[in-house]
Amino acid sequence: MATLKEKKTCSERMEDFRRFVWNPETKLFMGRTLINWVWISLYYLAFYVVMSGIFALSIYCLMRTVNPYEPDYQDHLKSPGVTLRPDVYGSRGLQIYYNISDNKTWDGLVTTLQTFLTAYTPAAQHLNINCTNDTYFFQDTFDGPNKTKLSCKFTSDMLQNCSGITDPTFGFPEGKPCFIIKMNRIINFLPGNGTAPRVNCTYVGDESSLLEVDYYPVNGTFNLHYFPYYGKKAQPSYSNPLVAVKFLNITRNVEHRILCKVIGAGIISDNVYDPYEGRTLLKNT
Amino acid sequence: MKSPFCSLSFSLSFGIQDDHRLSASELETKYGTSISEGLSSAKAAQVLARDGPNALTPPKATPEIVKFLKQMIGGFSILLWIGAVFSWISFGIQLAQGTVSFIDQLYLGVVLALVVILTGIFAYYQEAKSTNIMASFSKMIPQQALVIRDGEKKELPADQLVVGDIVEIKGGDRIPADIRLIFAQGCKVDNSSLTGESEPQSRSCDFTHENPLETKNIAFYSTTCVEGTATGIVINTGDRTIIGRIASLTSGVGNEKTPIAIEIEHFVYLVAGVAISIGVLFFIISVSMRYKILDSIIFLIGIIVANVPEGLLATVTVSLSLTAKRMAKKNCLVKNLEAVETLGSTSVICSDKTGTLTQNRMTVAHLWFDNQIYSADTSEDQTTQPFDQSSPSWTALSKIVTLCNRAEFRPGQENLPIMKRVVVGDASETALLKFAEVILGDVMNIRAQNKKVAEIPFNSTNKFQLSIHKTDDPNDERFLLVMKGAPERILERCSTIMINGKEEPLDSEKAEAFQTAYMELGGMGERVLGFCHLYLPENEFPDTYSFDTDSMNFPTSNLCFVGLLSMIDPPRSTVPDAVSKCRSAGIKVIMVTGDHPITAKAIAKSVGIISATSETVEDIAKRLNIPVEQVNWREATAAVVNGMELKDMSSQQLDEILCNHSEIVFARTSPQQKLIIVEGCQRQGAVVAVTGDGVNDSPALKKADIGIAMGIAGSDAAKNAADMVLLDDNFASIVTGVEEGRLIFDNLKKTIAYTLTKNIAELCPFLIYIIASIPLPIGTITILFIDLGTDIIPSVALAYEKAESDIMNRRPRNKRKDRLVNEQLAIYSYLQIGIMQSVGAFVTYFTVYAEQGFLPSTLLGVRVNWENNAINDFEDSYGQEWTKYQRTYLQWTGYTAFFVSITIQQVADLIIRKTRRNSIFQQGNKVIWVGIFSQIGIALILTYGLGHVTALNFTPLRFQYWFVAVPFAILIWVYDEVRKLFIRRYPGNHLHPIFLSKENITNFPISSLLLQAGGTRTCIIKTHPHHCLLPPYGDLLPLLTKPLLLECPVCAISSMGSPHDGVKEFHDYEKK
Repeated sequence: MATLKEKKTCSERMEDFRRFVWNPETKLFMGRTLINWVWISLYYLAFYVVMSGIFALSIYCLMRTVNPYEPDYQDHLKSPGVTLRPDVYGSRGLQIYYNISDNKTWDGLVTTLQTFLTAYTPAAQHLNINCTNDTYFFQDTFDGPNKTKLSCKFTSDMLQNCSGITDPTFGFPEGKPCFIIKMNRIINFLPGNGTAPRVNCTYVGDESSLLEVDYYPVNGTFNLHYFPYYGKKAQPSYSNPLVAVKFLNITRNVEHRILCKVIGAGIISDNVYDPYEGRTLLKNT
Repeated sequence: MKSPFCSLSFSLSFGIQDDHRLSASELETKYGTSISEGLSSAKAAQVLARDGPNALTPPKATPEIVKFLKQMIGGFSILLWIGAVFSWISFGIQLAQGTVSFIDQLYLGVVLALVVILTGIFAYYQEAKSTNIMASFSKMIPQQALVIRDGEKKELPADQLVVGDIVEIKGGDRIPADIRLIFAQGCKVDNSSLTGESEPQSRSCDFTHENPLETKNIAFYSTTCVEGTATGIVINTGDRTIIGRIASLTSGVGNEKTPIAIEIEHFVYLVAGVAISIGVLFFIISVSMRYKILDSIIFLIGIIVANVPEGLLATVTVSLSLTAKRMAKKNCLVKNLEAVETLGSTSVICSDKTGTLTQNRMTVAHLWFDNQIYSADTSEDQTTQPFDQSSPSWTALSKIVTLCNRAEFRPGQENLPIMKRVVVGDASETALLKFAEVILGDVMNIRAQNKKVAEIPFNSTNKFQLSIHKTDDPNDERFLLVMKGAPERILERCSTIMINGKEEPLDSEKAEAFQTAYMELGGMGERVLGFCHLYLPENEFPDTYSFDTDSMNFPTSNLCFVGLLSMIDPPRSTVPDAVSKCRSAGIKVIMVTGDHPITAKAIAKSVGIISATSETVEDIAKRLNIPVEQVNWREATAAVVNGMELKDMSSQQLDEILCNHSEIVFARTSPQQKLIIVEGCQRQGAVVAVTGDGVNDSPALKKADIGIAMGIAGSDAAKNAADMVLLDDNFASIVTGVEEGRLIFDNLKKTIAYTLTKNIAELCPFLIYIIASIPLPIGTITILFIDLGTDIIPSVALAYEKAESDIMNRRPRNKRKDRLVNEQLAIYSYLQIGIMQSVGAFVTYFTVYAEQGFLPSTLLGVRVNWENNAINDFEDSYGQEWTKYQRTYLQWTGYTAFFVSITIQQVADLIIRKTRRNSIFQQGNKVIWVGIFSQIGIALILTYGLGHVTALNFTPLRFQYWFVAVPFAILIWVYDEVRKLFIRRYPGNHLHPIFLSKENITNFPISSLLLQAGGTRTCIIKTHPHHCLLPPYGDLLPLLTKPLLLECPVCAISSMGSPHDGVKEFHDYEKK
């Protein structure tokens, strides 16, 4: 095997490489004739065009088979997630701290809420209808304009004290802050099995002291007429119902862990892996 | 190569003491021993403690821990270590930043480290297992020695011997140490393992030569006592023996890397090069796309893991050890796994004659009586002899053969076939005894009936052997004198000759006939013996006559000549076939022997090493009747080179001989010259296999690319130096080994092609993920499950693939050109099949996401929000909102879907890789089904069985997603079948580089081609006296029937051209 190990100098290697790139004697470019290279390039060009075509065709077929109104499967959406506004995340989930006397620390939080609620002004909701029934709002036909379905109106004034209308600072300076709880949309999901799901907030780990909460709308319920959701295409103007919570007796300068659950049949809130399925955990000072 | 032996003779002359000069009593005092009583046990124990056991120190083995660590950092391991370290670094940084959510990184690093360690342990275990086979083999025969100690004879293990011990040896024993003889009776030793001389040498207690190596009163360790008995004092033990000193010299000859190790290294460089360049390229891209450095590092790890075929090296080891096992069954014991393949790339075999090509026993080959030569059967298992036995001359001859013979069967072997029985006696007498036993039946009984009354054994001055018997005819009172010996000496003593049972005067005409026959038999390289007899007249030699062998009071001349018998060590019956196989496989067989050139040439001719039609320079000279010097030696294809000539040759002259003659026999060579021959062959760029048995062969065995030691005749030193041991000493076994070696190389190519393909399907997800910012299609852990889970058994199954018909009709692979992994294989796997797989897997991926709510258009560019832990109301294409966990779970479903579609397409890949040119319909292999079922089975278990274990990132996948990739699998299969059809139909097309078909040229020997062409006189493009060029897979063969070809002249191509040249010239010729 020793015969293979001929040491070459650097210049010899360079020369070999140059010869490989273009060999003037055999007229080989990189070891092949030019025409050969052309053939190969053409072949690969054709090959990739065909492959792209096949890919495009597959995606096209896929798009033709999927239902435009609702997905074929909801394997991972058995139960809706619950989120909170304002949403400030620390390394272990939602963490909200602010200093009452320093309005810079809570200005951002208030702005978030105000921005969030702009989608719930009467102007933004003008396409939606007023619903009064406290039952599921089933629509089998497309009654809305442009082959859509109707959505129920939810305006920020339904949140009363936490609507930002009466108190644009959402109670932050008084130490009785408002938080808005939103349940994620899931198509055709019917929460509560006929009874409206409601929000319930408690301290976690500290059962002795009772958390005093004001819920808006009353009882902190999501009215059933906002369900089921028929999807973006059917209900383009649908907006999630909200529940606002106002914590009334939070001790200052102490870290609290507050758990807000949505209680209702069909809403799972004890999945160990998913901290936001059916519940939201808040740390508050 | 000179140095070991120059220094050898130097050290030896100083090495041995002057023990051979001393008298017995001087020796007794020197070693404190007594010839009659031996050493005392206490003294022996003392010396043993001082000198150590009487065994050769095995060559220094690499410490186990070093071997183990080598497995840990060799090959791809280093890349994976880098990946693991990066994972830990990024985890460390995240830990320092206080974000512990990236615990995945720690986990990934641990998994990568585990993978390296486990595959390392596995490879180490495989390697160790094959070494153990060897170790157990050498322990099989513990040697015993008969020692006198404390005045008693004891059997001791030979390694307990110490200097001063008195040992007794007898015929058949191996000399247990270097011994100064003090008593010897008819003792002969076979020094071939030391000096290469095959003739047994007599030993006595006389000091005959100044040089300890030449003197007759020293017997050397590891040589064998052929006959007689002797007693001697141990003067050297263990490493201080002559053999021990030679053996220690061998370790000076370095170990070279095996071809397969070079190939694997080349492959590792190639893949690592691709991995690192793509990794670095995308690191730069991702940094310039404003990804965080930390993220970019994580991408880098993913790319490395996707590119490295983690399971491949383990698979290669398993495949090699499977082949090694198969070879062991065929009597090739492989010491070093990699040697399996080396054998396959062998282009020159330097073979010993005795024992390897031949049966290693003298056998009667020809007889001459009644003025006629008869041939005898020389096969291994003769039971009868076919020649005409009706002549009364034969009766007379057979009587002489039977009676004038001292050899005897060892008792108790009546049930064994005659050829296998052990005989006490020298080689020729054994041959005659067995020959007579086969024809006449119970020889011992015949001898008993013809009672021996006097005998003169053979000696070198008389050159004859004589005995006088009573006859078995009760009416005949005459004594019968029988004699055998060197034919010319026998003839001198004869005045008559027996023709058809009648004594006729021996006139010059009859003497001439004798001379012709003698020359003819001698010319065949056979050892010829003459036989004569005389019935002593009854009146002069009555019943009571007392014969005296010293005064020779009986006639020893004017005898009656009866006939000649010639003997040879005949070739093994399987060898000619094996040699012709080598020839068609493009392997040059060179015979290297210590025998006489005439014998060597005769054997070479009879086994086909020198083919029937080729001539040496001497033959041409004889035919043309001109002096040897005038012959153009380029015309001679064969050469018989004498060791004496070789000694005076420069290396250029040797190169010229090796280059210009295709059939070479080296005769009268010493084992040292073998090393020179091996080096000469290696200078030609050949991969050389060398067989050897003697201690002096070990440098050549080490130097050779693959050293093959003889299992039966081989010395331990030879076995130590060799890479392979032939258990049956049979040349034909080497050829089976070559076949296996070539097969495994082909199969490893398949395995690698199979393994490399999916790398692209594992890599593309990362690239698209970085560029298009889609959710990650497949995770690093999942990739490991493909590489080390589903793909392992199918890759091993490919090692069971049978040969694609022409394996032994190919030239040996060219070390520089036929790589295990060449650019074409990589490009075809990466840029064609790999791309198809990726497309199939991505279609599955998009299908899963779309049917769960994320249409492809939504997925593009979502990566940052998708991976944001703070977004728990991520909106999909239908307006639904997803928490982070729900998204992650969907992402795992995506991983599983991607995994499943790669697995499904790997089934298609496995099917197409099964054969490289043949259609799948042309070749079956049942093991492949095991591969396919295991692949799917493991995927099912991972998906549904372990789908709930979060750490593994698998989810129970909806069943229909298994079938999304099936059309793509079928597409891959059809595409490859079309490719195979194309290269079978249009060999030599310039589109071939795309289609992976730049293959070794099929190299048929002309004879087989003629056979295939129906025996018509046909000419194909001739490139070599015995070989011609055909495009792969003989697409030419159907054309051979065309009348055009039937009478074409020889069209020679100047060099061994590429297939293109060959085919082109052929087509050009056809046009004319």
